[in-house]
Amino acid sequence: MSFTDPDTTENTRPTAFRCVLCGLSVPAPGPDGPQRGHCPSCLSSRHVHDQVGSGASDCEGRMTPISVVVPRDHRWRLVHRCVRCDELSESAVADDDNPLVLMRIAVRPLAEPPFPLELLGEV
Amino acid sequence: MGRRNNDRRNQRRRQRPKAVLRARGERGRRSGPAAESFRCTGCRLDVPVRAVGTAHRNHCPHCLTSLHVDARVPGDRAADCRGRMVAAGVSARPDGEWSVIHRCLSCGELSANRIAGDDNARALVRIAVRPLSTSAAARRALVHL
Repeated sequence: MSFTDPDTTENTRPTAFRCVLCGLSVPAPGPDGPQRGHCPSCLSSRHVHDQVGSGASDCEGRMTPISVVVPRDHRWRLVHRCVRCDELSESAVADDDNPLVLMRIAVRPLAEPPFPLELLGEV
Repeated sequence: MGRRNNDRRNQRRRQRPKAVLRARGERGRRSGPAAESFRCTGCRLDVPVRAVGTAHRNHCPHCLTSLHVDARVPGDRAADCRGRMVAAGVSARPDGEWSVIHRCLSCGELSANRIAGDDNARALVRIAVRPLSTSAAARRALVHL
């Protein structure tokens, strides 16, 4: 989920991290306060939080953004999939995330529908 | 011989105690490797396991709800949560196939599963357009494009 173990204390968190895909040096605290979960430029993340065991994960694989989900509070959340172990995680979308990449992920399913969308008018 | 049969027919057989309760871990046609159908936790539809276009159906084709039974590997049945998993989003693979992303209402875990040929198209599209229909976030992303 985040680049650091969420169980660690505040003073052990790094102030900046380097993105595993694009190499951008990113300040760790996001613009709206909490810890950043992904690179604001390419939206990639790193697999450090174990979702099933809910602790630290030793996978350290790169996580690619695959989807945007919207919970009831209408704030976008980004779902990542680890390229090494296929585990999923989600993190909140920050204000300075790349809107082009974000929108591309959001409209991607509609650009390649598995059925003709014209038929929906007749359903 | 025939008389005995007639006697039996007239005598009403007592009802057998119900052994098949469709309970958790119970063997029957609803569970185990030979299961033929499962009951949807969302809409109670009886869903046959075999479906067109997928060999691993895990969600209801009508309301897309699933059940949290698998842990790390799909099909391992290692999770003790048994919470209801609702469809949170849709993701498209590089080859264009859609998969539904479920989130467990009980523990918040995520899972992804390919859509089947008989999945409800209207429900799928409703989830797919949800990021764009939530006005504030979509407008902010579009304005900053």
